[in-house]
Amino acid sequence: MSKKKPKKAEPKRARATSEVKTKPSEPPHVIAEPSTVEPSVDFSANFAPASAVDAAESVEVAESAPPESGPKSTKESNADDDSAADYGADLVAEISAYVPDVASDDVLDAPAHAEGHAPRGLGGDVGGELRAVEAEVDRILHEHVRLDEPPGVAEGLGLGAAFRVVERLREAIPVELPGEQGGTLVDAAKDVLSTDYYLRQWGRLGLRNRSEEVDEFGLDPVYEARFRPFFDLLYKYWFRVEVEGLENVPDDGRCILVGNHSGVLPYDGIMVRTAVRRAHPAAREVRWLAEDFVYHLPFLGAFMNRIGAVRACQENAERLLEGERCVLVFPEGIKGIGKLWRDRYQLQRFGRGGFVKLALRTGAPIIPVAIVGAEESAPMLYKVEYLTEALGLPFVPVTPGFPIFGPLGFIPAPTKWRIKFLPAVDLEGSGPESADDALLVNRLAERVRGTIQESLDKTVATRKSVFF
Amino acid sequence: MPPRGPRVQGRVVALTGAASFLGRNLVGVLEEDASVAGIVALDVQAPPTAGKKTRFYEIDLTRPSAEVRIAEVLRAEDVDTFLHLAFLSSPSHAPAYSHELESVGTMRVVTACRSARVRKLVQASTTLLYGARPTNPNFLSERHPLRARRDDPFFADKIEAEQEALRLGQRGSGTLVTVLRTAPILGPTVHNTLTKYLGRKLVPTMMGFDPLVQFLHEVDAIAAFKRAIDRDAPGIFNIVADGVLPLSTVIKLAGRAGVPVPHPLARPALEALWVAHVAEAPSSFIDYLRFLCVADGRKAQRELGFTATYTTREALVDFASVQLLRDVRLIHDRDKATPDKDTVGATGAKAVTSA
Repeated sequence: MSKKKPKKAEPKRARATSEVKTKPSEPPHVIAEPSTVEPSVDFSANFAPASAVDAAESVEVAESAPPESGPKSTKESNADDDSAADYGADLVAEISAYVPDVASDDVLDAPAHAEGHAPRGLGGDVGGELRAVEAEVDRILHEHVRLDEPPGVAEGLGLGAAFRVVERLREAIPVELPGEQGGTLVDAAKDVLSTDYYLRQWGRLGLRNRSEEVDEFGLDPVYEARFRPFFDLLYKYWFRVEVEGLENVPDDGRCILVGNHSGVLPYDGIMVRTAVRRAHPAAREVRWLAEDFVYHLPFLGAFMNRIGAVRACQENAERLLEGERCVLVFPEGIKGIGKLWRDRYQLQRFGRGGFVKLALRTGAPIIPVAIVGAEESAPMLYKVEYLTEALGLPFVPVTPGFPIFGPLGFIPAPTKWRIKFLPAVDLEGSGPESADDALLVNRLAERVRGTIQESLDKTVATRKSVFF
Repeated sequence: MPPRGPRVQGRVVALTGAASFLGRNLVGVLEEDASVAGIVALDVQAPPTAGKKTRFYEIDLTRPSAEVRIAEVLRAEDVDTFLHLAFLSSPSHAPAYSHELESVGTMRVVTACRSARVRKLVQASTTLLYGARPTNPNFLSERHPLRARRDDPFFADKIEAEQEALRLGQRGSGTLVTVLRTAPILGPTVHNTLTKYLGRKLVPTMMGFDPLVQFLHEVDAIAAFKRAIDRDAPGIFNIVADGVLPLSTVIKLAGRAGVPVPHPLARPALEALWVAHVAEAPSSFIDYLRFLCVADGRKAQRELGFTATYTTREALVDFASVQLLRDVRLIHDRDKATPDKDTVGATGAKAVTSA
């Protein structure tokens, strides 16, 4: 089998070169057209595959071309490009040996297409035009070469169709086929028999949705991007989020968003993040601070961290703000998501005013955010507190769907969400030195709480329905 | 008494643990430093990198009278800077010995430094001492309390040793004390618990947990100690590389396969394997596979002027590329391989093919 591969390759190469040879007999569309100005001639000589095929002929053609194409400059440019053209010819032969018929046709057609553009480029942007055409040809070449890069093994076994299916799948799942590196059946067999091969594949599969680097707080951009369509779906069609007052969020620089926390499964963090990403003119990235207990939980903790949540603590928040980021905090914490249905939209105690101290220390503005609709998406009827120690949860919720329908009960109700960003709270011009002034901190925290509560009450009173 | 001023030329540097990884590399670096007049190597074994400047004294820190000997040597050699590197890089099955070496050994070193009026003491420590806790902030500063598991002597002895050294600095003895808490060191030549862990083909992880981890390249670790020798910056410094990686990514970049184990099962299983001398670490290390233990290196950058040249990822990739060669036995580690005349022969090619 290993001998078969070169044999198979041979006829292709021959065919390719014969094609190349017959090409000049056809009207060489690049050159034969009366090229009026030198850049286009330059272009044809420099240009990769088809034109470079027979440089000598192209020179002749160019010289016999109508006199308005400045012959002097044409000669010069072609003379310069002789060696390049030779190299190009080799390259073409080599490439077309690997490219199937369709591909080579495409490639050879490409210059014609390009030529159509060239005269328009007389104005001056010939270089740009060239690069565009080159990129296009590269793309075409790349496409075909990649499709037609069989390791020989699959072909030899007559698995053409299966190979193509696998090829499609590989777009999604980056598994290396046995023998892909060696190319012979023996190598393939060796691969199949070695544990290393499987370990390698396992590793690749594991990283297929991952970036190789995360930011300093653990956000994995590739991983998060894969979940974006889901969050967008929730945002647009499930919760039909209505956003107001985004102009209150600055385009850059540090800021603290303070929101009301609600719903047993808190989607509010990710929804505010999605809202600011989609609707804000600067498409800012919001990092929200999540409760401690999330990080004790297997799977959920790591997942939340990869999609952008950060554990809520003073040090983390400070570092995020020092990086001029937009931080979303829920000062109510667990008390917010642990509210019963009868307490909906009643803001709980705002922690110990940590977010105010944070704002005073870092000089970041506080922007209150009122979120309406999240309460009803997962209302809690009752909470069981005697299982909490064993499960590592603050409470076990009883919602209309949970635990009757099992995990399905955690699907949020499709309520209509309204997120309102309010103007920044006046911090009375206090600076970092007043962060230890407990009275001031409490007063400011109370002011923020009052602002959000007021906005919540207004929105809840004026809305017509929970679902519309 | 006022502290002695730094001598720019003709300094004498003494170091314990001279034959350890950091020790022998630093001996090599100091040999080439013109501003160092002499190196005093204290260990039970001579460093292989010793040159003309190095004088070796065989001193066992676990011996009762070690401090007297050390003080004599320090006085006789007129030592300016003392590097205390005699710490175990992997947990030991002999807790009594490790306690004697690390905790009591540091006490002896500190006593000797005080009586010989050494100008500066630089001590090695590790960021593992912060402990991996779910309540850790993403970046631990030097002010954060050390919350590693005290029930494991590996951590308890190191914490005691660090406190011992810091006490010397506080007492106004005139000695500057610098403690460098390095992140887990990774690189092509170093051997420790971490390289053993990542050296396995199947690497156990905790199911459902994927903490962010941070490493330090061995070259950066050596550079940091050199910095601390050259510059007077008393205090504690986190010596870490830039960037963090999730553990799962680390394992994949190292070309390994992670085997998720439920953590309630892992603890007794690992304890049993540790007792049976199969595992490389006791169960107290499981925390580091579950929770964050990442330190903030900005203080070292500010006050010590140290910046790591390798990021966490680069350090890992550098280790992984060499580990690959180890896997296929193209590299034999000197301390592990049996002496073989072929492998040290003149022809490098032969050594490779015979390997």
